Amino acid sequence: MMVYAILFIVVSDGYLSANGLWYILMALIVSSFYAILISQFRRRDMSVFKCIGWSNNDVMLLVIGEVILVTVASFLIMLQISFEIVGIVTYFSVSMAPGTLLAMIHDFIVIDAVPLFTTFLIVLSMQIPGLFIAQRRAMSVPPMKALREE
Amino acid sequence: MAQPIIQVQEANKEFGKGKNTVAALKDVNLEINAGEFVAIVGPSGCGKSTLLHVMAGLEQPTAGRILLDGVDVTLISERDLPKVRMQKVGFVFQAFLLIEDLTAFENVQSVLWPSVDHTKEKQEEKALEVLREVDMLERRDHFPRQMSGGEQQRIAIARALVNDPPILFCDEPTGNLDSKTGENIMKIIAQLNREKNMTVVLVTHNEDLVKFAKRTLRMKDGVLR
Repeated sequence: MMVYAILFIVVSDGYLSANGLWYILMALIVSSFYAILISQFRRRDMSVFKCIGWSNNDVMLLVIGEVILVTVASFLIMLQISFEIVGIVTYFSVSMAPGTLLAMIHDFIVIDAVPLFTTFLIVLSMQIPGLFIAQRRAMSVPPMKALREE
Repeated sequence: MAQPIIQVQEANKEFGKGKNTVAALKDVNLEINAGEFVAIVGPSGCGKSTLLHVMAGLEQPTAGRILLDGVDVTLISERDLPKVRMQKVGFVFQAFLLIEDLTAFENVQSVLWPSVDHTKEKQEEKALEVLREVDMLERRDHFPRQMSGGEQQRIAIARALVNDPPILFCDEPTGNLDSKTGENIMKIIAQLNREKNMTVVLVTHNEDLVKFAKRTLRMKDGVLR
């Protein structure tokens, strides 16, 4: 989730810049890599679920659900953090002089609403190829795998 | 006479290819009636676990037929096999195979998650019922790592029962347990056979467990005797 939170910060900062495509590519790579990692990490669980009667579709939904859940949770965390920092600055009328620590934290972490929501949509859509990979891996895990590995 | 609940006809299973082919099952024939408690005993590597996996539809035989409650699992597609497993069989494995990130209650309930026949309330009710049966209700919120081997195996038994399967397959269920705990686990399994008339197929190399079964079959080098 930390990785995704950082991804949100980086992509939201850069997707409108001249190198925007590179940032979107970065979202694609990180999202795909994460989907592959999840499907690898969950191989034992997937085969156990298949042993106890889950179909390929059920297992696939579980993997896709986990990947999307992490993305949504990271988005909500960044939204919450941005709310909190903006709220603290406004409530205490904190001076945001350039160069101060708070100003630097504010500039680095706080993501404005439009870039945050746009980044969320970018990351979600860049996850589609990774989800296809995860789907293929979920379908290919035989139920016997868990038994052989134990 | 009623049709046997499990029929294995001329089952063969080979692993590997060419020169490296190993025959794990050789022309195995077997019939098990509903309500029987059958122990398949043999040394490690004799093919007894492979026979269990083939009977349960976890693996397809290289040749032969397997009928589970009248359904030929060798003719069923990979896509439909999980449904048969869900409806007809429960598994208890040597290594428990619980999901580490789920609590005992969730592990048991997870079998029913994909089921459209059970509402969430029904699933919870059923999971609590089977946890009570194996005397693990108080440990329902514990994770597998917080439980002993015997407790984990009880949870695995509860998980195997939650979908009310007519057949229970047990693959060395006491293999990772001390003798006293293993004895208790076997008593639970024998009780299920007696009281629920559940068909139990036990695979083990431990001769001490034979006393719990009504019929004992011996296996050696892929051949059932």
